[in-house]
Amino acid sequence: MSKRVYILGGYQTDFARNWSKEGKHLNALFLEVMDGAFAATDIEPKEVQTAHVGNFAAELYNMQGHLGAMVINYHKDLRGIATARHEAACASSAIATLAARTEIEAGHYDLALVIGVEYMKSVDSKTGGDFLGTAAWYEKEAKGVQFPFPKLFGKLGDVYQELYGLKYEYLAEISAINYDNAKRNPLAQTRDWYMNKQHACSSGEFNMAVGGMIRITDCSQVTDGAVALFLASEKYAAEYAKRHDISLEKIPYIMGWGHATAPLLFDDKAEEARELKKKGEYILPATRKAILDAYRRAGLKGAEDIHAVETHDCFTTSEYAAIEHFGLTAPGEAWKAIEQGDIKIGGKLPFNPSGGLIGAGHPVGATGARQILDAWRQVTGKAGDYQVAGAKRVATLNIGGSATTNVVHIIGVDG
Amino acid sequence: MREIKKVAVLGASGNMGSLSGGLFAQANIHCVYFARSLEKAQAGIEAAIGQARSDVLKQYLTARSYEDLEKELPDCDWIFEGLAEDMAIKKEFFDRVEKVRKAGCIVSTVSSGLSIHKMAEGRSEDFQKHFMGTHFYNPPGKLPANELIFHTKVESATRAFVADFCEKVLRRVNIITHDVPAFAGNRIGFQFLNEAAIYAEKYGVTKIDYLLGPYTGRALAPLATIDLVGLDVHKAIVDNVYANVKDERIETYKMPAYMQKMIDAGMLGRKARGKGGFFNRDENKNKLVLDTKTMQFLPEEKIKIDWVEKMKTNIHDGRYAAAIDVLKNATGEEAEIVRHFILGYVSYSFHRIGEVTPVEDGIHGIDRVMSFGFSWLPASGWVDLFGGPQATVALIEKAGLPVPDSLKKLPEGKLCRIRDITKFLNGR
Repeated sequence: MSKRVYILGGYQTDFARNWSKEGKHLNALFLEVMDGAFAATDIEPKEVQTAHVGNFAAELYNMQGHLGAMVINYHKDLRGIATARHEAACASSAIATLAARTEIEAGHYDLALVIGVEYMKSVDSKTGGDFLGTAAWYEKEAKGVQFPFPKLFGKLGDVYQELYGLKYEYLAEISAINYDNAKRNPLAQTRDWYMNKQHACSSGEFNMAVGGMIRITDCSQVTDGAVALFLASEKYAAEYAKRHDISLEKIPYIMGWGHATAPLLFDDKAEEARELKKKGEYILPATRKAILDAYRRAGLKGAEDIHAVETHDCFTTSEYAAIEHFGLTAPGEAWKAIEQGDIKIGGKLPFNPSGGLIGAGHPVGATGARQILDAWRQVTGKAGDYQVAGAKRVATLNIGGSATTNVVHIIGVDG
Repeated sequence: MREIKKVAVLGASGNMGSLSGGLFAQANIHCVYFARSLEKAQAGIEAAIGQARSDVLKQYLTARSYEDLEKELPDCDWIFEGLAEDMAIKKEFFDRVEKVRKAGCIVSTVSSGLSIHKMAEGRSEDFQKHFMGTHFYNPPGKLPANELIFHTKVESATRAFVADFCEKVLRRVNIITHDVPAFAGNRIGFQFLNEAAIYAEKYGVTKIDYLLGPYTGRALAPLATIDLVGLDVHKAIVDNVYANVKDERIETYKMPAYMQKMIDAGMLGRKARGKGGFFNRDENKNKLVLDTKTMQFLPEEKIKIDWVEKMKTNIHDGRYAAAIDVLKNATGEEAEIVRHFILGYVSYSFHRIGEVTPVEDGIHGIDRVMSFGFSWLPASGWVDLFGGPQATVALIEKAGLPVPDSLKKLPEGKLCRIRDITKFLNGR
């Protein structure tokens, strides 16, 4: 049995902020999120031994690479620590978390800092859309295509439509729930935006179709933001618990994880989906594998053993797929969970109490870390107005590309 | 249990009427938009739809001309007045409102500084018991501040209902404010703006807006802000305060004579197309700046002062403590001007506790209105950045400004309750 890796807490910047409008450099995002994380956890910079940064495309958005090294700018006591940057499109900071966890599990370090960061409002939406296209097979799926990703996830909707039938109202409901939850989240980008199911069901000037059945309200946001997390060995966590006069049982840990990769091209995934449908299986096998691996490692039977999910709703279709791939319903039946209100706060298994990517925002390289921080908030009872009552085990699914890289974490607490 | 099912918006063709009314419609409440003509009321509806970016609002909004006022008002639960800032016009409409409003109907005005009590003078007991200022900031879709100025006769249950409704349904940030000229936000904000205009006469428009620009904790430099709100609006606010208020810095509230000349010449700011204000554009869209002595527009002169640029770079990089050190330690007349204005703003804000907002709110009500209404770094945020109350008191004394007792008496420790004050420090 592998060693436990604990999560001591962290910090998230306000996802409604526009750092470009504020005239700030990417370095300011690093410094603010680190400042917040050190203050929130009462950890000193000199205690950190390794840092992992998840970021998708700062070279494109900000003309800045080598982000691992930017961590050191925060404080001279960080000079000399190990750092690395990880890129797996929108799953970048879940990958950074996997790397930090592995180092601690292996016994190399006792305290790791994980930072997810993306500064996207440095360019106009068309240019940003093109940059995001590099998370697909750019030459085949994105080059010369305006806003390629809504189209790719529109195709996922088309696949569901073809294989099982898909009514748009279920996607609209997913969107409305995410926006509604976001209104409870003081750091959510859309917390003050006008939105409801009626608007999601409307079409026209203010809710244009941007890719197949995907309308504007089905899309996650262009967001600037950063999240920092501290991961610790049992040794460090025990000392930390003692120092803060809390029981180690009250500190959340990574119960399980899964990591699985699908073919990069969406058409290859669609072909596989058609074959799996014939066998009555879930249609995104890599997504399903990551989820099952996480359940197995956590010693859980399935969806019935978790209390909430922070999933990757880059588009409503990705959440639609996640609902069933987590095992809440049989393949092709996610609509039933939506119709029954199962995914709402207070429902059988709430999805995205934070508002998810659609409501809370999607600074792509920060999303995986944000989901884990939200899971930490839930299991420690610190999620404020979006708290799921009694949550002790919360799963996250962070996806890169068109459901290509899939990373699942299950965060739990014993006490 | 009180329920708000139907709202009347008077003055719905104006910016504040249409956009504020839109907030009710966004909460699925039926609103009747009144204007001088149906077309104007319809234009107000379009503005509300644009603010929400949703056609769904159409089903909650009805356009009417004032001819239909008596027909529609009797079953309204809230009458939201957004007419011109003219006491006579407001009173004329309240005469009509009073005759037909149902008992218990809330009546609120979005006035930015006229006396709430004078507005309700001579009205019935029931009117006064349900009358208040709900001063939203422009544009309400982006600035959530709401100064709540209750008529003294409004009962506590009604106060609690309105405050809760504004916060939860209209998603406003409430600031309980006393019925004083310009209320809280404008009182403090326009002191800064008017004093900047006074300094512009000596130092020039370009230099003042450069020195007091967004890097000093505001979305827009002060003279550009006056151009945005309009010189006529500026005059109405500062004249009202100057005539009706006595405070320790009231001399900074006297509008400079050159601004009257600008107003007389129709140079009202951005809305005076072609005539400009402090700034204008030539036929090639190049920026022009007013020379207040000759009243001529000249091409913009580029200014760069080393310590200002250094402070901006530190903000740009996220090194805020270093930026504040630069501000504290810079030498020369320009540095003294910048410190005079920032510390003057802090001093003026703390002096207003108890006068514009309740004593028990401390600096926090004033902080909320300056952050959520003006997008300025709040006074207590500056205190934290300067190293606490005593360090700030020392800086205020050194700048030769009046030291507020309310600041002197504060214990050391973090003061500001507004999250992320660094967002107000702009690195450009």
